[in-house]
Amino acid sequence: MMGTNPAAVEAIGLSKTLGPRPALCDVTLELAEGETVALTGPNGAGKTTLLRCLASVLRPSAGEVRWFGRPARSDPALRRHVGLLAHESLLYPHLTLREDLRFAARMYGVRDAAASADRWLRTIGLESFADRLSSQISRGMRQRVALARALIHRPRIVLLDEPFSALDAEGAAWLAALLGDLRAEGRTVCFATHDPERARTLGDRVVQLRSGRLFEVRDGASPGRAPAAARAA
Amino acid sequence: MAAKLWWVIHKDLVSEWRGRQAWPAMLVLGIAVVLVFSFQMDLLPQQKPALVGGLLWLAVFFAGIFALDRSFAAEREAGCWDGLKLYPVSPSVIYLGKVIVNVATLSALECVLVPLFVALADVPLLERPGDLILIAALGNAGIAAVGTLLSALAAGVRRSGNLTVLLVLPLTIPVVLAAAEATRLMVAGDLGPAWWRWVQLLAAFAVVFTTAGTLLFELAVEE
Repeated sequence: MMGTNPAAVEAIGLSKTLGPRPALCDVTLELAEGETVALTGPNGAGKTTLLRCLASVLRPSAGEVRWFGRPARSDPALRRHVGLLAHESLLYPHLTLREDLRFAARMYGVRDAAASADRWLRTIGLESFADRLSSQISRGMRQRVALARALIHRPRIVLLDEPFSALDAEGAAWLAALLGDLRAEGRTVCFATHDPERARTLGDRVVQLRSGRLFEVRDGASPGRAPAAARAA
Repeated sequence: MAAKLWWVIHKDLVSEWRGRQAWPAMLVLGIAVVLVFSFQMDLLPQQKPALVGGLLWLAVFFAGIFALDRSFAAEREAGCWDGLKLYPVSPSVIYLGKVIVNVATLSALECVLVPLFVALADVPLLERPGDLILIAALGNAGIAAVGTLLSALAAGVRRSGNLTVLLVLPLTIPVVLAAAEATRLMVAGDLGPAWWRWVQLLAAFAVVFTTAGTLLFELAVEE
């Protein structure tokens, strides 16, 4: 662990059973503040379940999640530090993109929610679609809006489930740049991906899940980060 | 907290207005029940006041179930439930927001059904509007408080079917009964201690169910 500050995110002995089989088995993981961690693994490995547990939208069957040293479920106000891009877009089918982002900003307590929503619509390049319903735009566009929704309150912990899915090459490049910006701002990022090359190049660390177990942890090749061995020395 | 409560209410009302998923079915069923009761039951004029309370509240209950059922089913279908759980607000804010929307929906339904009963069944339901509003407000609060909580529970454990009605009906029988009796006595012009006891019972149900719902909501929606 670096320094004496608590980790941004700690998963301590997390287990979760969904249906007949365990989705997570005794997963222990720490994400240091400012660190970008790539989460890899085959379909059904437990990536989405782990991210939902880390975001505290799913209660683990055993174990605990901590944010900055405090139990994630101890105070709803702590959730303002966390942004989640989920597997589903989390967008309301009968709200326009602008209304959806404004609702999220207001619920997160963002000052000047309307202006913030408009600013994010410009950032993701969908200003001209602002008054469309989420059901009237493409999946790639929905993914961008979902990203804006996850980041609109400038969370210190950013959890992204397959953020590159549905994005075209231009969108993927934009997202890679956005991840770089989040790293530069010192935010803690954990993203799930099926692409090992992307995991290696964008993550400071790569964590692999298999059948709900944390299988392997190794250094990524992202710029601006020393390898874990060097950091520990 | 009040601002966030308002935004939950606003979001739900806008979504339902645009989607119109629960309200049309609710209105059609409510009107159908009133029409059937009015035309099929060949009652003497003096018998109608004795039955109108029960018929009105049965119509409100069965039609209102559509709205209660949609409270959380819509959130689950769109995957938006996780989004709501991410916000830094107490789950009770979400619950109370949904309860208020459901109370408003039931009230709007009654605004259609009561005049229809008056017109078709020729019963003096609107002779004491203040008393009727009191009964309706308390009855709606009781039904909405239980219905919202159980709708959340049902939305988490099913993919289809009408589990909400099976869960809500037994728990709201006392509310529907109390509202029906209070309405019957009001129509008969008997606003004495018996009427007042039914109104107090309705108020007690509303307070107990809303408090219990607020406390139990987080457990009910836990995955």
